[in-house]
Amino acid sequence: MASSGSDEPPATETETEIPGAECSIYEEVIWLDKTEQNQRLAVEELIKTEASYVHTIQLCVSDIRAHLQQKQLPDLDLEGLFSNIDDVLHISRRFLKRLEATVSHTEQLNQISALFQEFKEKMESVYKVYCASYEQALLLVESYRKDPRLQQEILDTLNTMVPHTGASDLSFFLVMPVQRVTKYALLLQKILENTSPSDGAYPALQSATNAMLEVSANINEYKRRKEVAFKYNKAEQLTLRERLARLNTHSIAKKTTRLSRLFMHEAGIVPKTQDKEYDDLEEKFQCLASGVTMLKENMGSYLNNLAVFLISKPHECELEIEEGAVQQYRCLAGNLHLTIFPEFRRRLNRVVYQPLCSLTDALKGPQQLIKKRLDKLLDYEEIQERKSETGSVTYDEEAAMNTYLAINALLMSELPRFNQVALQLLGQILNSLVALQRELAKKVLEETTRELAQLPHSHLPLPTFWKMVEDTLRQSGTQLHAFCQKFETVMPSPLVQSLSPAEERRVLSLVSKHSPDKLYQVISNISGSKDLDLTLQRGQIVALLHGMDTKGNTNRWLVDAGGPRGYVPAGKLQPYHLDQSQKPRMQTLAPDDRAERRRHSYTFPEAPRPPVPIVTPASQVVAGFSFAARSPQEVSLQAGQPVAVLEPHDKKGSKDWSLVEVNGQRGYVPSSYLVMVPPWEPLGWSLPAWSPPTQQT
Amino acid sequence: MGGFVHEVQLAPSRVAACVPRIPFKLGQPKKQIVPKTVERDFEREYGKLQQLEDQTKKLQKDMKKSTDADVAMSKSAVKISSDLLSNPLCEQDPKFLEMVMALDTAMKRMDSFNQEKVNQIQKTVIEPLKKFSSVFPSLNMAVKKREQTLQDYKRLQSKVEKYEEKEKTGPVLAKLHQAREELRPVKEDFEAKNKQLLEEMPKFYSSRIDYFKPSFESLIRAQVVYYTEMHKIFGDLTEQIAEPGLTDEQREKENEAKLSELRALSIVADD
Repeated sequence: MASSGSDEPPATETETEIPGAECSIYEEVIWLDKTEQNQRLAVEELIKTEASYVHTIQLCVSDIRAHLQQKQLPDLDLEGLFSNIDDVLHISRRFLKRLEATVSHTEQLNQISALFQEFKEKMESVYKVYCASYEQALLLVESYRKDPRLQQEILDTLNTMVPHTGASDLSFFLVMPVQRVTKYALLLQKILENTSPSDGAYPALQSATNAMLEVSANINEYKRRKEVAFKYNKAEQLTLRERLARLNTHSIAKKTTRLSRLFMHEAGIVPKTQDKEYDDLEEKFQCLASGVTMLKENMGSYLNNLAVFLISKPHECELEIEEGAVQQYRCLAGNLHLTIFPEFRRRLNRVVYQPLCSLTDALKGPQQLIKKRLDKLLDYEEIQERKSETGSVTYDEEAAMNTYLAINALLMSELPRFNQVALQLLGQILNSLVALQRELAKKVLEETTRELAQLPHSHLPLPTFWKMVEDTLRQSGTQLHAFCQKFETVMPSPLVQSLSPAEERRVLSLVSKHSPDKLYQVISNISGSKDLDLTLQRGQIVALLHGMDTKGNTNRWLVDAGGPRGYVPAGKLQPYHLDQSQKPRMQTLAPDDRAERRRHSYTFPEAPRPPVPIVTPASQVVAGFSFAARSPQEVSLQAGQPVAVLEPHDKKGSKDWSLVEVNGQRGYVPSSYLVMVPPWEPLGWSLPAWSPPTQQT
Repeated sequence: MGGFVHEVQLAPSRVAACVPRIPFKLGQPKKQIVPKTVERDFEREYGKLQQLEDQTKKLQKDMKKSTDADVAMSKSAVKISSDLLSNPLCEQDPKFLEMVMALDTAMKRMDSFNQEKVNQIQKTVIEPLKKFSSVFPSLNMAVKKREQTLQDYKRLQSKVEKYEEKEKTGPVLAKLHQAREELRPVKEDFEAKNKQLLEEMPKFYSSRIDYFKPSFESLIRAQVVYYTEMHKIFGDLTEQIAEPGLTDEQREKENEAKLSELRALSIVADD
């Protein structure tokens, strides 16, 4: 039994003050004895109740909860029910042990006070968590009560493990820590009542009591803030339907009031409640939020670009070059793509992107609360106004005002910490980014330096190297051009009779002046005897000007030899066919419009060429049917014979008849008996393969 | 009175409308004009070149895509730091400002080096690739022309053979002579073309080795230059603002610690 050893015996004081007042002394003594006794009882109560409390909690944990755990009921949320009751148990047991140790101590009261001071912080942090989740636990109990199966299980457990308590409900046990933590203050108060203020232990007791009162108040405040935060820090995911269902006159009125108040703020009609401290906090938060969001977005697109980079793999092309720089490059790029960059991407994700995402998520709660605070502030101001007018407010209005105050207090107390920690995290993330970039560079550099060492020109300083590359490429370019030329050139086909360039030019000029079907080639040398006769070499090309001379002799033709004009015997001429592919010697291939489309490329020759006159294709003309000449002007045809069309019309201009030469004879045949056959592009000059018998008609 | 008309193979509109066509069957020549080995060689060499054409095209395309993605990456890295720089946080917190400014400088410098690198690659790899590819159209055209000539050759050859088989009458002999005269230039033409291509194709094919050497060397060298700069720049930056020695696990732990602190606050919603 503790005795208040620090108490001064009061008897002596009263004796000296009131001598002879023996009844009052006794009364004093009795009073003193009574308080002393009460004090002792109070202290006993403290300790005893603590012991029984710890015992019950122990039961709760080791018996009831364990039993329920064993049952493995999936619908039973044990964590939601029991919260951190293990911590509660742990701290209470330690507390009890220390309490019990003070029992036979001389300075018990002081010790107890000191003990409370020592434990108050830990108690606050443990109990506030428990109390904050107690409401939820009660809701759970309520819901389980409605489920007959679960209820049965719970009852069964209770009856099995703790029949002596006669409890029919879990709440009987769950409420105990909530009650206990507030009881400490009451118990201390009781001891304090029964201690005289002049007692040495009094000040300590008083501060201990105050401390525990503060603990209770803090726990309550924490609980309230947690409730407010929980209520408002999530954006509600309501469907349109639900939102509409929520609309009623009350909510509409509320929102209208808020909106009008907001207008009045912005218009300056009504002063805004200025709270510089809050505004600064909020502004900092918003900057942080936008910075984090932006960084996350940018990191995301950086990672996307990295992914795209890894998709294209130029090093996988197969040029069939076994060794040399190509293989080095393939090796290097292969490593980069397979190992180094994927690792870089993984690490970026882990220490930069993922934390960014988590940080972005963490922003949502405060953002919601800030929004809600503004709403509630508008309500608050409204109600304040009304209160100053009418003098009183309804219960709901009072609650609304309190809500605003709670949110405001919550934000004011937690935003600074949030801002600070978030900024630190942001800094850490940026550090990681920088460090990772450096390590990427280091790894790539190792790879490239290794490959570089195997290259022939690695020792060259950079400008020299680039110059060398440039020069080499220029040379190669020229070489390529040479290849191109080679492929574009067709070897000039060996000709039966090839013409000199001068001759070709003359031929072209003749063609441009006359039509191609007026060309003739000299078969044998002509030596002109009369005036106006030409002397021509075999093989020369002339153009027919007139099929007879001035005297009407059809065997003497007027021709244009590409400069001189004169007469030559017709028998020494044979028709000369130009082909559409007649071009200067270096022939560039024209695109073939009959080409089947191959999957490979073709070019249209782009190099400027000497302008070539457009030559109408001189087609091979063949007799389609046999024809028997019926007059001296006509000539006989055999089907299939090639003929030379001299004039595609008769003397009267009718197109029904053509003047042809066939078998050395000339005459008219029906044009319809003639067949045009397109040439099949033999190169070079095509000549009629047969030479007509040199007959003169 | 056996008439004949050259079968108009490819342009039937050329035939005069009132003349009915008399069909004429063109066979393949009996004699094998081009020896099998020559044909095989030709196909082999041309095949290799066709393959090379495809691969160079692919390489060009992939190289372009790769460099485009590279540029995009660099640009988005710059965006990271420049967006941070324009955030008001920098005004409020001088230490943060210092870090972001250093980061921004680094990113911008890296971007300009990257641009240099890409320009070099354009000049020394992509342009030469294009040039190399530009030879192929001419080659393909030449091969096609050879093919056409071959077809003509075959046709004329079979025509000659046909006349050779016929009874040797006067008109037949005339026609035979004519056909032989027509055949000769075409045959010589084909043989010339064939020879030329058989000579040039392997030369072109093997030219690729030397041709591409400088391109790939410069590709590697350009990377070395870039990453050397990157290592230096980010090395300096790390010394200045970051903690260089940490492992990934340590960084992860640090981040988790901060996140837990945040989540412990009531204002942070926990899902």
